[in-house]
Amino acid sequence: MTATVAPDSHHVAPVAASGAAVVSARGITKEFPGVVAVDNLSLSIAPGEILALLGQNGAGKSTFIQILAGVHRGYRGEIALDGKPYHPASVAEAEAAGVALVPQEVNVAPDLTVAENMYLNAEPTRFGLLDRPLMLARARRVLEDFGLAVDPAAAMGSLDLSTQQLVIIARALSKNARLLILDEPTAALTEAEARRLFERMRALTARGVAIIFVTHRLPEVFAVSNRIVIMRDGRICGSYATGEVSRDTVVAQMVGGVRTSIALAGQQPGAVALEATDLTVADPADPTRLRVDRVSLQAAHGEILGLFGLLGAGCIEAALALYGAWPGKVSGRIALDGRDVTITNPTEAVALGMGLMAQDRRDCLLPEHSVLDNALLASLGAITHRGFLDIGAGQRRAQEFVRLLDIKAPSIETLVGTLSGGNQQKVQVARWLIADARILILVDPTRGVDVGARAEIKRVWSTLRADGRAIVIASTDAEELVDVCDRVLVFRRGAIAGELLRAELSEETLLRMATDV
Amino acid sequence: MSEQETVAGKAPGAAMGAGHLARLSALRDYMLIGILAAIWLFFSIATDGIFLTPRNLVLLALQTSIVSLAAISAVLLIVTRNFDLSVGSAVALVGVVLAVLAGSLDVSPLIAVPAAILAGMLMGAWQGYWVTKVGVSSFIVTLAGMLYFRGFSMIATNGATIASLPRPITKFATGFLPPIPSAVIILGALLAYGALRWFELERARQLGVIANLQSALMRALAPAVIAAAAALLIASWQGIPYLVLLVAVCAIGAEVVMRRTRYGAQLYAIGGNPEAARLSGIDIKRAIFWNFVIAGFFYGVTGVVLTARVGGAVAGSAGLFLELDAIAAAVIGGTALSGGRGRVLGALVGALLMGSLNNGMSLMNVAPFYQDTARGVVLLLAVALDHLGRRSSRSAR
Repeated sequence: MTATVAPDSHHVAPVAASGAAVVSARGITKEFPGVVAVDNLSLSIAPGEILALLGQNGAGKSTFIQILAGVHRGYRGEIALDGKPYHPASVAEAEAAGVALVPQEVNVAPDLTVAENMYLNAEPTRFGLLDRPLMLARARRVLEDFGLAVDPAAAMGSLDLSTQQLVIIARALSKNARLLILDEPTAALTEAEARRLFERMRALTARGVAIIFVTHRLPEVFAVSNRIVIMRDGRICGSYATGEVSRDTVVAQMVGGVRTSIALAGQQPGAVALEATDLTVADPADPTRLRVDRVSLQAAHGEILGLFGLLGAGCIEAALALYGAWPGKVSGRIALDGRDVTITNPTEAVALGMGLMAQDRRDCLLPEHSVLDNALLASLGAITHRGFLDIGAGQRRAQEFVRLLDIKAPSIETLVGTLSGGNQQKVQVARWLIADARILILVDPTRGVDVGARAEIKRVWSTLRADGRAIVIASTDAEELVDVCDRVLVFRRGAIAGELLRAELSEETLLRMATDV
Repeated sequence: MSEQETVAGKAPGAAMGAGHLARLSALRDYMLIGILAAIWLFFSIATDGIFLTPRNLVLLALQTSIVSLAAISAVLLIVTRNFDLSVGSAVALVGVVLAVLAGSLDVSPLIAVPAAILAGMLMGAWQGYWVTKVGVSSFIVTLAGMLYFRGFSMIATNGATIASLPRPITKFATGFLPPIPSAVIILGALLAYGALRWFELERARQLGVIANLQSALMRALAPAVIAAAAALLIASWQGIPYLVLLVAVCAIGAEVVMRRTRYGAQLYAIGGNPEAARLSGIDIKRAIFWNFVIAGFFYGVTGVVLTARVGGAVAGSAGLFLELDAIAAAVIGGTALSGGRGRVLGALVGALLMGSLNNGMSLMNVAPFYQDTARGVVLLLAVALDHLGRRSSRSAR
């Protein structure tokens, strides 16, 4: 969604790229039981450099940056910070030495104030007691510096997710770090917020701070980084100056030669499966504020319909409302296969043959439960026989779909939480296939899923489409939609700004329509 | 949408949401006080004013003191998502230690009391060891503790009551600080609190955090002045019971630890989001271990006080169900079982609320069965109201 940033961005030359490295790691190896996560990796980063670390899920990026940030111990190899040996035993030690990590998941304590969250375990004290006034004053200054108008005394839980993330980033930026590590910082940010973050990153590099930036969004990589390092299977498989490499090369390196492209069979969509007329979705807190304002849409059997919009434009809200999962007030007419229905909660939606795969995979999966349990969750009624679950029948069905979808799990008893993002996504698909849902609502379905797995999941969708199921994908990520959708409706400020057919689809067009330009 | 618009457009909304939440939480505090006031008004009318006499209020404070002490330590533990079901039994065992030392063995109270408190702390450390080093959930560890602490008490005393405590101990439990020194202490505490708040707010003003010192100071001091006035009124009868002073000291100490030390901030962070706490470098296991040691200190203090008040150690029934009363008081006082939220002062009001129900219904000669029923209903309603209030504030983000 930040593709529009790319053209006008100027690459800041490394301030002292020729000077000594801020951090240099040599021969780092980290093993977890059964896996070599990082394999004899060597990397150094110069002051003022923005290094984009790319790679599929499981490539070892997270483990490597966590080693730098003091999260993991028990690795082999040498790390030097400013030329001196650096082996942090804890996050606090790493931060004290000048290495700060902003993790991918926004980890906040919602009941604590913004300031308390910012100074967690680093609270200023005076006479041995907390100095709350100083903490508030410092927090306010940091937030102002970052251009965030947030009250430091407000409860963190009262802010929305992207603001929380910006607060956490502001906190890390304020720590006088020599090396700042951002793990997918833009996942929850709007385009404008992401652009603001990039400005701050450049300002920091001008002061000689080095930044490692992990992301799945290639346009961002080309917008801000000086160097691109690609990891695969725990090793570095490519390192380029950003100006000297093409996007195709980078993608090819990440997936290891497998080219991702989805061929949709040229089939004509069938009858209308889902029709919404004058769908209006109100903000849960403020019923007078409309998140979606009188939108009408149709999705046919055998069609993949995309709903695209920037965060808050209404596409996600509309999708959740169709499924009865939106917490606020919803009005409008919904018809399935030409029959008017009322859907006020997900139970009714499932009974009518709908299925949802949500934005955050953890919202839809039970990570501590097996593939089997997760796959059967929406069809427990169907496999219940005289009041008891027919475990055998359930296992057979789950097994069948694990094979069909090629879910890479040692067995159906494997815990879903241990699978990769792509396979977790497929377990969700299996669930709705077992439940035989005819209409599938997908919300940002490949968020956090790596490039290779994305292509495979998209192929799964195209087989669902060939099956005659209707698929509605609501997404804030244009890349996710362009190569699978038959048709995309672009949302802007709660209304439909336009419609694009498959032949006209491109990330650039989608973003242009979504952003008022 | 331009960048300025997005950022500027978002901020007032965020700030408004925060203000809304703050208002709601203040509303919640007032609601608790409001419920307490309504209950007091009801009992005052139903008992022809007996309920609100200084004499009865002192009695109420004394009756509430044991649960208050236990509730303070319950808040500390629940804030980190830990439970303590062993309080009642642990208190009984501490009582046995004290009674055996000071009563049967004739050890000086100056040694016996610290020894009993130390025993409590060891019990707390023992449970903390199992929770943090072995990794058994606190619910189970303290459920087991509830059984074997009671068991040890019974084994050690063979189920008999030890009722030969030396006079200084029993005198502490029944004695009063005379009215004049009491008034001095109350006013002194008020002044000290006012001065500390003034220092803090003045610093906040200098740092530009607050704009108006006077109004902030007024808001901070108003409740304290009202509380002090009420305390003076009650103390005018016979002074303050030593027990109530002890509860006040423990509560203030706990409040300072929770709200004004880094350790307290760590406890809130651990309960609010353990992962965020871990990543910020907090040693969660160590913090929780010490949390249990503090709980153990409260076993000790509560055990000594209870034994002194009853005049002896009753292994079988001392402190029975105290843990449940303590959790109820903490929860009514706004402590979230999901962790990260709770105030010591709230728990005291919660304990007072439960105690008022007992006291008032006893004055009205309501049978004990009905008292339990009423307290159960109040607990359920208080927590349900809290939940509803919280839900509306959450959807307001």
